[in-house]
Amino acid sequence: MKTIIKKIGALTVVAVMASCADTLLDKEPISNFSAQGFYKNTSDAQAGVYGIYNAFQSAFRLNFALWGEGRADAVGSNAVGDPAALRQNTLTPIINSARWDNLYTVISRANYAIKYIPQVFGGADSPLRNQLLGQAYALRAIAYFYAVRVWGDVPLILEPYESIDQELFVRKTDREAVLDQIEEDLTFASVNCAASYGGERDRVLITRGGADAFLTHVYMWRKDYANAIAAAERVMDNPLYSLVTMGDWTNVFAIGLSSESIFEVGYNEVQTNSLRILYALGSDSYYFPSERFMNSFEEGDLRRPRIYDITAVQPRMVWKFFGEGFNDESPDPSANNIVLVRLADIMLLKAEAHARSGQPEEALPLLNEIRERAGLASLDQATAESLYGDIESAILHERSIELSFEGHRWFDLVRTGRAIEIMQPINGLRDEANILWPIHEEAINRNPNLEQNEFYR
Amino acid sequence: MIKGNNNRLLLFFTGNKKFAALIIVFMVGLLTVDDVAGQENTVRGRVTDLADGRAIEGANVAIKGTAGGGSTDATGYYMLQGVSAGDVLVFSSVGYDTKEVTVGSQTTIDVALAESINLLEETVVVGYGRQKKRNLTGSVVSVGSEEIAKTALQDPISVLQGRAAGVQVTSNSGAPGGEMTIRVRGNSSLNSGNNPLFVVDGIPIESGSLSSLNGTENFGLNPLADINPGDIESIEILKDAASTAIYGSRAANGVVMITTKRGAEGKAQVNLTVNSGISELTRKLSVLNASQYRDAVMESYMNMDNPEQPYWTVVDSLNPMNNGDVDWQDELMRAAGQYQVNLAIRGGTKNTQYAWSSSYLDQDGIIINSNYKRITSRLNVDFNVTDKLKIGQSISYTNGLNNRINAGGTGNLSVIRELLVRPPIMSMYLPDGSLNGYSLGRRNPVGIALHATHLNKSNRIVGSQYLEYQIIEGLKFRSNLNFDFTAMKEDEFMPSILDYREGYNTGAVRSINNLTWGNENFFQYDRTFGDGHHVGGVAGFSFQNWRYERTGLNGSFFPSDDIRTLNAASVISNKDANGMDINVASEHAMLSYFGRVMYDYQGKYLAEINLRADGSSRFGRDKRFGYFPSASVGWRFSEEGLFNDLSFLNDAKLRFSIGSTGNEAIGDYTSQGEFLVGTNYLDYSGAAPTVMPNAALTWETTTQYNAGLDIALWANRLILNVDAYLKDTRDLLYSVPIPRETGFASITQNIGSIRNRGIEFLVTSRNLVGEFQWSTNFNISANRNKVISLPENVLTNGFIQNGAYHILKEGLPIGIFYGWRFDGVYARDEDNVNGVTHGAQGPVFAGGDPIWHDLNGDHIIDQNDRQIIGNAEPNFFGGISNDFSYKNFSLNIFFQFSQGNDIYSEINHQRNAIVRYNNLSTDALRRWRQQGDITDFPKLIRDDPKQSDSRVQSRWVEDGSYIKLKNVNLRYRFAPSLIDRIGLRQLEAFVTATNLITWTKYTGFDPDVNSYAGLRVGVDEGSYPQNRSFIFGINIGL
Repeated sequence: MKTIIKKIGALTVVAVMASCADTLLDKEPISNFSAQGFYKNTSDAQAGVYGIYNAFQSAFRLNFALWGEGRADAVGSNAVGDPAALRQNTLTPIINSARWDNLYTVISRANYAIKYIPQVFGGADSPLRNQLLGQAYALRAIAYFYAVRVWGDVPLILEPYESIDQELFVRKTDREAVLDQIEEDLTFASVNCAASYGGERDRVLITRGGADAFLTHVYMWRKDYANAIAAAERVMDNPLYSLVTMGDWTNVFAIGLSSESIFEVGYNEVQTNSLRILYALGSDSYYFPSERFMNSFEEGDLRRPRIYDITAVQPRMVWKFFGEGFNDESPDPSANNIVLVRLADIMLLKAEAHARSGQPEEALPLLNEIRERAGLASLDQATAESLYGDIESAILHERSIELSFEGHRWFDLVRTGRAIEIMQPINGLRDEANILWPIHEEAINRNPNLEQNEFYR
Repeated sequence: MIKGNNNRLLLFFTGNKKFAALIIVFMVGLLTVDDVAGQENTVRGRVTDLADGRAIEGANVAIKGTAGGGSTDATGYYMLQGVSAGDVLVFSSVGYDTKEVTVGSQTTIDVALAESINLLEETVVVGYGRQKKRNLTGSVVSVGSEEIAKTALQDPISVLQGRAAGVQVTSNSGAPGGEMTIRVRGNSSLNSGNNPLFVVDGIPIESGSLSSLNGTENFGLNPLADINPGDIESIEILKDAASTAIYGSRAANGVVMITTKRGAEGKAQVNLTVNSGISELTRKLSVLNASQYRDAVMESYMNMDNPEQPYWTVVDSLNPMNNGDVDWQDELMRAAGQYQVNLAIRGGTKNTQYAWSSSYLDQDGIIINSNYKRITSRLNVDFNVTDKLKIGQSISYTNGLNNRINAGGTGNLSVIRELLVRPPIMSMYLPDGSLNGYSLGRRNPVGIALHATHLNKSNRIVGSQYLEYQIIEGLKFRSNLNFDFTAMKEDEFMPSILDYREGYNTGAVRSINNLTWGNENFFQYDRTFGDGHHVGGVAGFSFQNWRYERTGLNGSFFPSDDIRTLNAASVISNKDANGMDINVASEHAMLSYFGRVMYDYQGKYLAEINLRADGSSRFGRDKRFGYFPSASVGWRFSEEGLFNDLSFLNDAKLRFSIGSTGNEAIGDYTSQGEFLVGTNYLDYSGAAPTVMPNAALTWETTTQYNAGLDIALWANRLILNVDAYLKDTRDLLYSVPIPRETGFASITQNIGSIRNRGIEFLVTSRNLVGEFQWSTNFNISANRNKVISLPENVLTNGFIQNGAYHILKEGLPIGIFYGWRFDGVYARDEDNVNGVTHGAQGPVFAGGDPIWHDLNGDHIIDQNDRQIIGNAEPNFFGGISNDFSYKNFSLNIFFQFSQGNDIYSEINHQRNAIVRYNNLSTDALRRWRQQGDITDFPKLIRDDPKQSDSRVQSRWVEDGSYIKLKNVNLRYRFAPSLIDRIGLRQLEAFVTATNLITWTKYTGFDPDVNSYAGLRVGVDEGSYPQNRSFIFGINIGL
């Protein structure tokens, strides 16, 4: 009898064990969250959005310059690898700048935030919810905007990946459809982001002004000048932004967080970037000013000695980001923020939009405001035309000096249709299809539905 | 000794007076038997062990054909009354061969019994029980304590090397306490989950390296080095599914069962073993001296397209930093001492048995300053509380202190890499007497060994408690509670004297806590009914939980090299050099139900069925449970009438088994996906998805078929075991690369399948018995591995690139090396008749360049010319052990071999490539220098645009076959009569030599090498070299 009781007892234990199997075997991650277990409260939503910015740091650490300057006329280079391939227009599917991995990491993180933030707030229409969503949409849009400008048609992915039942092998979407999505997302952001977060966050996070600034760029890229002017006007009316004096001009980059800055990717001693490797390692840096660039200055331009060492016969570094006289040979990574958009940039875009809309009288004061700060004489229509052929060209030239090495030149050339005209004598670029980058070989290998860009097939 | 040879032996022995006398006495004894028949007498005597003269207690002495008889007392003495001359006395004892003596006129009959080596009568440990080896229907191989004692090795895995059929053991590192790779019947998984399950005294233990510092290092520490081999009674390796399925989900790679010694009823036995020895490098490799080196470097610059001068200090023999002429092997290698003491006391009463042991090991590595110290302490006790209730506890504690001296690692933080390639010109000291710590981009390896810190301190407690209750006859209930806890601390420091940056030093600390605990409850049943219907079974459930925690910090800019604790660091980070979190914790649990039913009829027809259901927290709720059944049958055909006439056939059995086992070797949270905290933006806390979830993940399953044959011949003098198997593994867990557009690089999925098939032979023979004994143990195994299928969407160019040297491709084994085939060197420019170029637009290969095999004949050497250039899988491997004993001497000679495996010698690449001012081997003296030179060593070109050095190429693939005289053990046991007087039970002296001679064509340090723990098999990246050791010791028994 006793043994039977024991047996029953033991069997009961077995039954209990069986019934609580799921309790025993449900193990949530301890030092991290599970993919679906993260977004629970508002501080998670906030952290999720900062996680997108974290991916931004990787995406732009080096590539803002490779994409925006590497194929254009302002930079000279002795470096091998990507700098050489871009400069000599020998792009192949194995160069590093052909990788879009980091941009899609930004997009993936944003997609998670966009899906889960509304759930955290349970439908309540709170300002925090809106400004977090606004930032997520804006960051996704900026990533796609770079992707479209570099590769043309790209896969458009708007949902987070949470199951292998989802389509992993996504085809490319027409660039215009991607740009439509970018416009929609940035428009949402320009309404929903906070106008100001206070302190440094006004420069390193996307504010309404930041969304408007990128929107201006997108409209300019799409040649939608009326909307570009409207968006730029919102930026210029924004009390956060004003031009700095020439004396503070270098500090916009060397120190950061200036009143002229609209959005800069934040870095610090631990979260670093490659500005030094790009511009200031002496004979070893990726880039130095090209002859053509150095010869393009007007006499008396106060920016010139702030951009490079004018006393050197062959300057081997760019001073703009570090300060005049910078002579540090350290290969250590740099902690400067990288300014992606600033007021001078938007003012010149607005000027250009007016010029292209047949409103030179609106364009010239904007152009001259930038010129005057640099110690240059104001231009009227006649002098502008005599010096540069037309006002648009005068503005484009002004952008090439004012925004030099900041990652705008190549996109300006492409946007204005002058890339081939200017680069053909330098590196033989002559095919429109060659303007796009190749898609990296590894991306093609991983996704059988991806087609290599036409020129590189 | 075969009967027909007696005459010849007699002739032989007549040359020896002692033997002749012995034989005469023996024959006279036989002749006198008949004369004294009829009288009844009292006979007394003593039964001893033939080998060591020890008394055998409890031996049976029976009078053949009668019920009469008795047994021996604790000192081996017996007394029988009523014995008539002509009676036959039968002496028997468990574990010894039975001996019969016909009684003559003598009243004292002393008998020495020979230890039985009848393996089929032995029992072996299996999952949740013990079985007679004779009745096994699965495939199990066993290594006993005697065998282990002969090796004088420090860890249980090394002991298995070459001694167990089907078990391949290779060294990842020759460092003291270094990791080993163990594969049972090949690689069956695509991820790194290819290690067998380790079970110590019934407890599954942690067997992966927990060491986490120096993450770039290819090999870790061997967690099984925490077990003192002296404590081990036996090691069983369960190989086929019938044996392993009871361990279900973790058993696809076999199960290694380690059983420690327990006490037995009787007087306490004290054993003290002391040994001490010396080890040295097995082979020194050639390097260039300073002037040969300078010539080579200058030549490499002159061979550039635009010849340059080398950086001037390299060739300036007057520069104090570079005026040396050093062979770094001489500076770094030493004859290393080691010392080990084992003390064990075992015994017990009827109701309490104990085994108490303690050991201390102090082992120097052959590289200066490397050292491993280990203290182990163990207590196993068993109590019979009542007739029916038995309880017990095993607990062991190990303290390890390993000074790893940065021997591993990559680049110039590593001592080993620098050993062979550091330029001989770099001087050891500067003129002011200080260490030349850093020059030309290289750290001084002697400086690293002496002044850097890389210390691993571990504390491990493994314990288990059991309670066993006999419910009715044959039915027992047993409950086990077990735990395995490791606390490890690691310190690292790289001082500024070894850096080029003024005041730049780095330090790191890691503290690891790992706890595995479990509870097992099961019923065991064992009864025999009627005329031999034997029924057995096991049924139960278990729960096991694992928790891993790591805390630590990295620091830099310590104000002084003398204060190395992290409090002194000016910069502190909780991320490692790769930006990964240092501080992590994870947990994993498994709930299992298992059962077994066994039946046999008179040991003639045998059958067994096992089933285990495992639920793992690593898989999603719907996929959580895996079911792992197995079935096996055996037929002892020697018992059939047909074979009764074959008197030479003692035993013969056929076995078949089929079953499935699993593998859950993925991250604890892989299926749930991961949101990583600490992905911050400036000072704002961020979090980001880093692992994509896959709720559909489930077990990797291996189905295994096994057929075996066991035959014992000529009074068990020759025993043959043969096994053939086929293992199919499907639903392989593999981290599949996916498009980065998803935001993720890869996702773990169940994909494809792999097949392993093989055959194993084990021959145990007693060639000579009697006073001069000779026995041989020979095993040989062959395994063929093949990737059967891989889904299309994971392949690039039709295969998966597996690390730098291997690919995974359908139809090919896992260990395939893939690269360019080196066909020699162009003697002259014009020998390149087809104008073969490097790449489509690249330079044309010229005189002195390597001739690459142009696979597709397009005269362009590119990715498309890569091909299979080697296979790391051996054709066969095994070992042969010969034991000789004569009187008080015994000798064991053990050879280990592997045939047909290739090694990718990355270390030979490093020491023959002119990069980073590396030194070269003396092979470079026959390099191509001018047009017309016919050689196999290409010209030296600095920064060769044709990438001759950096290609994965057949030039570095070498035949890794070897035969190694792995172990020689000679021991002398002092006669009991001699040591009785000083109160000893046993006194033995021995000498063991390890890695004595290796016959191989391999040109690296040692062909027994495997730098990577995972799937990247057969690569020699420059591991800590193997050593040759000589150890002297004594065993004292009280």
